[in-house]
Amino acid sequence: MEILHNLAFGFSHALTLENLMFCAIGCVVGTLVGLLPGLGPLATISLLLPLTYSIPTGGALIMLAGIYYGAQYGDSVSAITMKIPHASSIVACIDGYQMTLKNKTGLALFTAGVSSFIGGTVALVVLAVFAPLLGRVALMFGPTEYCALMLLGFVCVSFVTTGSLLNGLAMCFVGVLLGQVGTDVNSGALRFTMGMHLLDDGIGLVSIALGCFGIAEITKNLDNKEERSPFRGKIHLMPTWPEFKRIIPSALRGSAIGSALGILPGGGPVIAQFAAYALDKKVSKYKHEIGQGAIEGVAGQAAADEAAARTSFIPLMSIGIPENAVMALMMAAFIIKGIQPGPNMIPDHPDLFWGLVASMWVGNVFLVTLNVPLVRYWLSVFKIPYSVLFPAILFFCCIGTYSVNNNLSDIFSTAFFGLVGYCFLRVELDPAPLMLGFILGPMLEENFRRALLISHGDFTTFISRPISGTLISIIGVFFLWQLVAFLIDIRKPADRRAIAQPHPETDAAA
Amino acid sequence: MNNRDLLRGLLLMVIALFFGLQSLRYPLGRIDSAGPGMFPLMISCFLFILALATLIGTFFSERTPLFFSLKNIGLIIGSLVAFALVSEFVNMIVGIIVMVFMASLAGASYSWIRNLQIAAGLVAIAVAFQKLLGLQLPLY
Repeated sequence: MEILHNLAFGFSHALTLENLMFCAIGCVVGTLVGLLPGLGPLATISLLLPLTYSIPTGGALIMLAGIYYGAQYGDSVSAITMKIPHASSIVACIDGYQMTLKNKTGLALFTAGVSSFIGGTVALVVLAVFAPLLGRVALMFGPTEYCALMLLGFVCVSFVTTGSLLNGLAMCFVGVLLGQVGTDVNSGALRFTMGMHLLDDGIGLVSIALGCFGIAEITKNLDNKEERSPFRGKIHLMPTWPEFKRIIPSALRGSAIGSALGILPGGGPVIAQFAAYALDKKVSKYKHEIGQGAIEGVAGQAAADEAAARTSFIPLMSIGIPENAVMALMMAAFIIKGIQPGPNMIPDHPDLFWGLVASMWVGNVFLVTLNVPLVRYWLSVFKIPYSVLFPAILFFCCIGTYSVNNNLSDIFSTAFFGLVGYCFLRVELDPAPLMLGFILGPMLEENFRRALLISHGDFTTFISRPISGTLISIIGVFFLWQLVAFLIDIRKPADRRAIAQPHPETDAAA
Repeated sequence: MNNRDLLRGLLLMVIALFFGLQSLRYPLGRIDSAGPGMFPLMISCFLFILALATLIGTFFSERTPLFFSLKNIGLIIGSLVAFALVSEFVNMIVGIIVMVFMASLAGASYSWIRNLQIAAGLVAIAVAFQKLLGLQLPLY
C-alpha cells in the first residue's frame, strides 16, 4: 500500500505541465540520438548538462533520464531497419534485421516497441520496491565498503563493456588519474595542473565526455566513409493475434532478466539483452526459429534492454554508486543540482525520487507512441547525409563545452580530449570505463583515505569487514579466472586458437 | 613498430609514468594520514602493472597493425581550435562558418553551397539559443 501511495505522490509531480514537457523533450531527443549514428546517450547527456543549469532540478533529471531510456528505444529501430548497431542494440541487429529481410519490418518494430514498454513497466515496479529497500541496507556501508564496491564496479564494467579486464581496468585507472587533476580537497595542494590555471578546478567533465564520445566518434565514422542508404521498405505495423501472443512470454522473461542484471554492478542494457537472447534461445517454444527472424529474438532482448536501463538507476539512487558510465554522468547531473545520490536521497528528497520514477512510466507511454505509430516519420531522419550531420554535431559540441563556464578556452580542452579519445579508440581502448573512473575517482580517494584513517593505516580492514571482504574476494576470483583463461589460451597452438575464436560476424550470423 | 597491442601498452605506460613521477613531488604523508601524493602514486603503480601485463601479452598474440589516419582527426581538431580562436578574436558567427568549411573537408563529399546552407542553419540555431534559452554566446 505504501508503494501505491508513494507512486501516487510521484505521479502528482511527474504530471505537472512543466515536467510533462521536460519528459517529452527527453524522450524525443533520446529517440533521435538512439537512431543516429555517432552520438550516443553519453555524449548527448553531457551536451545537455550545461543547458540544465537554468532548469528546475526535478525537470532536469526527468529530461536527462528520458534521454537515456529513450535512446534504448530508438537504437532498436535503426538496428531493425538498417542493421546499424549501437553499443546497446547489437542483439537487435540479429533477429530484427532478419525480420526486415523477410518483409516483416512492421512486426519487428511493433514487437520491439511493445516489449520495451512491458520491460519498462516491470522495471518500474522493481525500482519502486527495491530502491528504498536497498537504501536502508546501504546505510550500513562505511568507507571500506564503498571502496570495495567501487573497485568491484570498475572490474565489472571493464569486463562487460570491453570484454578484456586488462584494457577496461587500465582505462578506469586512467580516468581516476584524470580525476586527480586540480585542487586536492583534503590538503588544498594543486595536483598535476602543470601551472595552468585552467586546470585548477580540475578537468571539465563535459570536455572529457564530448572529446572522447563526440569528437572521437565523429572521426571514427568519417574514417569508415560509410554513407547509409535510407530504409525504403513498407511498414505494416499491426500483428495478428497469434503473433501478438508470442510476444508476451518472451517479453516478460526479458523484463525479469533485464531488471535483475540492471541492478548488478557493471550491469546495464548491453549485458542484459545478450542474457535475455541467450535465455530465449534455450527455453523459448520457438527456439529453433531464433536467429532467422523470430519474434522471440526481438521481444526478449528489447524488454531486457529497456528494463535494465531503468533498474540501473537503483544503485545510483539508493547506494550512491553509479554502475556504468551513463549513470556516472547522471550522478554528475545530480551533484550539479546540489543533490548527493545515496542512502539519504530517498528520505531527503522524496519528491525528486518518486517524481523521477513516475516520469519514467509517463516517458514509457510517450516512447511507445513515438516509436510504434509514428516510427515512419523517424526513419526519414536517415535521409540526412552524414556530411550534413557531423558539422552540426561538432557545432553542438562547441556550444555545449562553451556554455559550461561561458569560456572559449574550454573548447581547447575538448579538442585535446578528442585527440586523446581518438588515440584510445585506435589502440582498442574503450572510453566508457574512463568516464566511470573519472567521476568516481575523487570519491574513491576520499573513501580510501578515510578507511585507512579509521583503521590506523591497517590494510586488512578491507578484507576483515564482512561486506567489503566478500566484494574484494569476488574481485580476486575474477582476476584468477582471467589469468587461468589467459594461460590456457597461450598453451594452445596458434592454429587451434584461430578456430577457438571465430570471426565475430560469422558468429552473429550463425 | 606498427603493432596495435604494443602501442597500447606503451601508451598506458607513458600515462602511468607521467602521473606517477609527478605525484612523487607532492607530499606522500603516512598510510593512516595520506598526503596528496599517496593516492595518485598508488593508482599510477597499478596502471603501470597493467601496462606491463599488456606488453607481456603482446608476445603471445598475433600482431594487429594500427590504423591511424591523421587527416580526419587533424581537420576535426583543427576546426574546433579555429572555432575557438575566431570566436575569441572576431565573433562566433564567423567562427561557425570557418568551422563548417574546415570540418567538411573531412567528409565524403564537398560542396560550397551545402556548406553555406549548413552554416546558415547553425547560425540560426545559435541565434535561437541566445534569444530563447538565454545562452551567453558572443555571436557578433
